[in-house]
Amino acid sequence: MSSCGNPIAEDAALMPRRFKFDKVRDCIKCKLNPGNIVIRHAVYCKDCLTPLVTLKFRRALEPLVNASSGTSKRPKLKASGSLTLGFSGGLGSSVLLDIVYKTYFANQPSVDPSGEPRGGANHPRNTNVWSSCAVCYVEVCNAFTETRDRTEEIRTALAPYPKFDFIPLRLEDAFDASWWSKVATTPDQSQLGLELGKDGLCTEGFHLAACPTLPPAAALRSYLASLPTQTAVSSAIKVIVRLLLLYTARSRQSSHLLLGTSLTTLSISLVSSISQGGGHSILEELQEEWTCGGESTTSEKLNVIRVVRPLRDVTMKECAAFGWWNSIAVVGRDKQARASAGIPGLTQDFIVGLEKDYPSTVSTIARTCAKLEPKSASRGSCILCQRPLQEGLEDWKNRISIRSYSDAKLTSDLCHLPLLAPFGASELSTPPHQPPSILTHLCYSCQATFTSRSSRGPKPAPSSIDVSGALPLSTPLPVWVSANHTRPHVAHEELVMSANGEIWYQKKQGEAENQSVVAKFLLDT
Amino acid sequence: MAPASCALCQNAKAILKRPKTGQQICKECFFFVFETEIHHTITQAALFKPGDRVAIGASGGKDSTVLAYVMKTLNERYNYGLDLYLLSIDEGITGYRDDSLQTVKRNQLQYNMPLKILSYEELYGWTMDAIVSEIGKKNNCTFCGVFRRQALDRGASSLNVDHVVTGHNADDIAETVLMNIMRGDIARLGRCTMICTQGEDTIKRSKPFKYAYEKEIVMYAYFKKLDYFSTECIYSPDAYRGHARTFLKDLEAARPSAIIDIIHSGEAFEVRDDVKATQKPQQTCKRCGYMSSNELCKACTLLEGLERGVANSVITDKARKKLDAMGPAPDNLRTIPIFRSPLPAVSIESSQDQ
Repeated sequence: MSSCGNPIAEDAALMPRRFKFDKVRDCIKCKLNPGNIVIRHAVYCKDCLTPLVTLKFRRALEPLVNASSGTSKRPKLKASGSLTLGFSGGLGSSVLLDIVYKTYFANQPSVDPSGEPRGGANHPRNTNVWSSCAVCYVEVCNAFTETRDRTEEIRTALAPYPKFDFIPLRLEDAFDASWWSKVATTPDQSQLGLELGKDGLCTEGFHLAACPTLPPAAALRSYLASLPTQTAVSSAIKVIVRLLLLYTARSRQSSHLLLGTSLTTLSISLVSSISQGGGHSILEELQEEWTCGGESTTSEKLNVIRVVRPLRDVTMKECAAFGWWNSIAVVGRDKQARASAGIPGLTQDFIVGLEKDYPSTVSTIARTCAKLEPKSASRGSCILCQRPLQEGLEDWKNRISIRSYSDAKLTSDLCHLPLLAPFGASELSTPPHQPPSILTHLCYSCQATFTSRSSRGPKPAPSSIDVSGALPLSTPLPVWVSANHTRPHVAHEELVMSANGEIWYQKKQGEAENQSVVAKFLLDT
Repeated sequence: MAPASCALCQNAKAILKRPKTGQQICKECFFFVFETEIHHTITQAALFKPGDRVAIGASGGKDSTVLAYVMKTLNERYNYGLDLYLLSIDEGITGYRDDSLQTVKRNQLQYNMPLKILSYEELYGWTMDAIVSEIGKKNNCTFCGVFRRQALDRGASSLNVDHVVTGHNADDIAETVLMNIMRGDIARLGRCTMICTQGEDTIKRSKPFKYAYEKEIVMYAYFKKLDYFSTECIYSPDAYRGHARTFLKDLEAARPSAIIDIIHSGEAFEVRDDVKATQKPQQTCKRCGYMSSNELCKACTLLEGLERGVANSVITDKARKKLDAMGPAPDNLRTIPIFRSPLPAVSIESSQDQ
């Protein structure tokens, strides 16, 4: 990169410069074969690329396989649960599927001269790292009008991997009580919805409303249609896919969820997340330890699911070459189905374009973000995306912008507003009584998803989203939002809807709180 | 369709849509919220105390012109008790800076503030025109950026001020967050969202427009009919930063909150302690006394390269090796005058508004 971009740079602050080997003809690894591909200023031959990618894969995954690292430098790999693999049909997940299968499932135990497994079939050496592996595919065709159902194509593509179980999911499962009852221990009590304005979601308040029970696909379409921007739609789909995979993994007692995110797509999602205000949960974009509802209690430690991206050091170019040279079939995805409109799409175009001129940029982005951590503590998790919830979000927003003159902090300032000088602040808009809001239980990114509008006015009815049918007065939320098991982690409260549609906060009092209530009535003993 | 009424006062006709909030508001409310938000930014971060001498970095452009106007307005309205000065740096760019400095001179009269102009030629013995003729247009921003930062501190020192405020706006900060992530500059990433920075022996620097959108600054200047200079620097072909700026504008077009969302992200994370521990401690340049992370500060290194005919020595490895091979700098080499801070030495610290 040109130093123009960094006029006051100190050498020490920048990444060390890599040596460049892209002017040589031979592979820099074996130094024998002529090179076939240039990866970030280094030439590799076809034979060396496959072990290189596999090595990067193992280096990223294996330190995270065992529940605890122990004291051994090379511990025997044994996961505490089964394996779930998120499969989109794209390049990264196809490469991941192939490597996982060949590395951990296809290999038969080594046999002795008699043909029996060495040490016996039950010898620890001959057991698999994971007991089983499920491949989950989330079909998104019901979110878009011009997208076909690819479930059967995916099933066919998985035929060469007979040891994997195939679990087809659908995006609308997020609004389906029957799916929820299969994956969750707590029943979905009611379908909560968000109040709608005349052109989609109201930008202020996020008030809850009773929601008519819709068929899952209609509920999904209503939800996506109510969102204000294409960015919000892409972001919402990404959140739903992630949580469908996580809940499915949990229902199978999985200890790991593997995703085929390459270095390039990881950098895209990091920059995209930062651009949508997701700085507080930047580490979760890299690697996540998920428990249902956020913070894990001691008993839930066993249920932690590690979300690992084993291809996080492998660029898209390496994935493409690996897939091609190893004859890996890639089903591919429609551009729409990649949920890449708005900011995610712009970021993808930007990073992929930049990678051509500055090949090290994607690696730099990922390595830089890996050096960061949240500045402040979290208070539970967001009820929508179930990522860490930052404290003081509303205070921050109120500090940086004035959205209403009814704000108490403006009392002394309003006298400087000529038109309103004769009026008191109390005479300005006083908010009427409102139903409960989920605002304080949403992270910054999810708040932006619901409220942040385009400068070009309301989102046009997109051709990519089927909005057939009139919008109802409220739009449903994914089942995990209304399911009460997510609530205990947010101030120990639950949202409950009564039979007549009223919404209640139900608060569970702890023992210490109970004691404090009765403390003054107790005699010293 | 009938024009909407102002979303804030509900009385007047809305004439603009705020990029920051998406609200349609009237002109008077826009002036009020724009100025009051800046006031809140200043007071919540406790940037100044009564009696402070504050220099406003003035280039004649829209940001610094609006900053000078708003600082004067708020100083009078809220009785900050500040002594305000205009401080301009003349980089020596014919056809650009000489014209913009005429605007600053008019601002001096309009706002009734003392003006100090410090030139690169006076301080370093080189104008940017001369530097560009030596190094070409490609990497000249490196020289200009390094020299300007030090020139601002030296100008502030000569004015004996406590504080320099600059017109960096929300768009600039969001762009810097993205740039620092893309080039792996973790040291700057950690501090680029701070509203106020202060290093040892340097004067406090603040960005009161940290949360002000560039578009709103332009609108403010337009509606207030402020006198500003609006030409891009003729030597700014910065390809990499240009990519980032275009990207940010695309993001803003897709969702205007993207700018404030990026700043929020930048404020929400920090560099891990174990990574911070590997960074070099700050020291003092052995040649000019300015803060530096190496024996020689960046400005002295750049000036040495220029003086010895190897201006590219900080740009390419080949030129750096050539400079090293030439041996130590001769005694008669032109150097930057010794920097003397008006402030007592303090430990490195920063204040933040969060």
